[in-house]
Amino acid sequence: MTAPVRISVEHVTKRFVSGAVTVFEGLDLAVRDGEALCILGPSGCGKTTLLRCMHGLAGIDGGRIVIDGVEVRAPSRKVAMVFQHFGLMPWKRVRENVAYGLELAGASKATIAERVDRYVRLVGLVGFEDAYPYALSGGMQQRVGLARALAVDPQVLLMDEPFGSLDALTRELLQDEFLRIYQEHPRTMVFITHSIDEAIALGDRVVVLSARPARVRDILVVDIPRPRTVASVIADPRFVELRDRCWRLLRKEASWA
Amino acid sequence: MKAEVAQASPEVRQRGRRLLVGSDLAIRVASVALVLATWEFFGPSLNPGILKPPSAILAAFPVLIGNGELQLALGQSLRVYAIGMAIALLAGLVLGIASGRARVLYNVIDPWVSALYSIPAVALIPVIGVALGYTGDLPRIATVALFGVFPILINTQQGVRNVDPGLLEVARAFSSSERRLWKDVVVPAALPFILAGVRLAIGRGLIGMIVAEFLIGLAGLGYLIIVYQNTFRIDRMFVPVIVVAVIGIGLMGFVQFIEGRVAPWLRREQQ
Repeated sequence: MTAPVRISVEHVTKRFVSGAVTVFEGLDLAVRDGEALCILGPSGCGKTTLLRCMHGLAGIDGGRIVIDGVEVRAPSRKVAMVFQHFGLMPWKRVRENVAYGLELAGASKATIAERVDRYVRLVGLVGFEDAYPYALSGGMQQRVGLARALAVDPQVLLMDEPFGSLDALTRELLQDEFLRIYQEHPRTMVFITHSIDEAIALGDRVVVLSARPARVRDILVVDIPRPRTVASVIADPRFVELRDRCWRLLRKEASWA
Repeated sequence: MKAEVAQASPEVRQRGRRLLVGSDLAIRVASVALVLATWEFFGPSLNPGILKPPSAILAAFPVLIGNGELQLALGQSLRVYAIGMAIALLAGLVLGIASGRARVLYNVIDPWVSALYSIPAVALIPVIGVALGYTGDLPRIATVALFGVFPILINTQQGVRNVDPGLLEVARAFSSSERRLWKDVVVPAALPFILAGVRLAIGRGLIGMIVAEFLIGLAGLGYLIIVYQNTFRIDRMFVPVIVVAVIGIGLMGFVQFIEGRVAPWLRREQQ
């Protein structure tokens, strides 16, 4: 039942401003192979920083982070990230943005063309391949960000509050869409969010972090069967119970923020 | 999902870029026509010696072309302007990129750039005259380059320094090489700044060219202006003035055209 550990965060400490602010101290976390782990925490608790450390975009001040037995020191091509700010190049068309990671990985022209087509279709952007990002709505821009990450077929997907800057309606549509895509192409994923509903809908487990310095408050197993949709999750009786537990854990923390 | 797609179709959005509609153009043409007509009919009655009407200026064109003066002056001016601007562009881009990238170099050149950019460039023309002499193209080329280099340098520097840190992080997250980082992120991000600098430099370079021809070289379109001003041939004096204006407008339009070609995503910012 329990899959082997894929990402292990071992007693990791991270400080900001030359040590004046401790983001987290002695943090331990394990992400199992193939699981969707959602990290939920009050704003400013360092969730995004933790994700950046996992990808080697930010250094750590103690402990170690290991992915597939290799200590993380710099970004790896096995890992792909989706950003809250989308991170699309305004000067690249949709097609070129999706191709970005593949190009950097040195894929052949034919592979790039085939993969771009496939992932543009997967995220529902057929017909927009030659559009520039400015011509797209926020939701569509994040579809491009998602396609760019999936196109390199990463073994680990890191999602940094990807739907956090979208309006409520678009967010729900994209959550559903993302659930469908993720369930068609499951893989190890760490998903950062401050939305309880999102964490429960998308995650196999939900890690609730405390306010800074972040500690693991609790880890909840979301035993709602897949394939899920947002609607099916909300309709599940366990959803209410899980949300209540998350909310109570978070409320204690939010009062500190 | 469906509503989201329909609302953001790229064809619809792209039509939002700023174009002159018919009524805009009509007002522009009317404005120019009104001023020219007023000048034509009332100007001479104020001072017949000096305020020659537009028709007289128009008639002066074939005269100056017929005796070859205009072509000679234009050739002298354009040669100096082209070489001076090429130097300004090259120096501005190289120094701008290097100092935008390397903090040490930024600190080395910034005091000089700030000082030289604050001094009205005209005030430095006597220095150029003393240093490079008053004959030949060189002092005038140096003047054009001096007038043109700073907007390009400063804009390039700021463009390189102000690259969206989020995009730099994306490049790192996808394990970009340094070379690809420049190609994919830094240069395209700096391009609008650079082109804005070039547009500023075009105008300043023309000022440098004319002023150098007034004060140093006694050649080119600027010299032609002085000659006909001194002989009170105001109709002929306006011929090189108009030519300079046409050069400026033409070059601005050219840079805008280039901008549309190399940076089509900027249409959005011009909305």
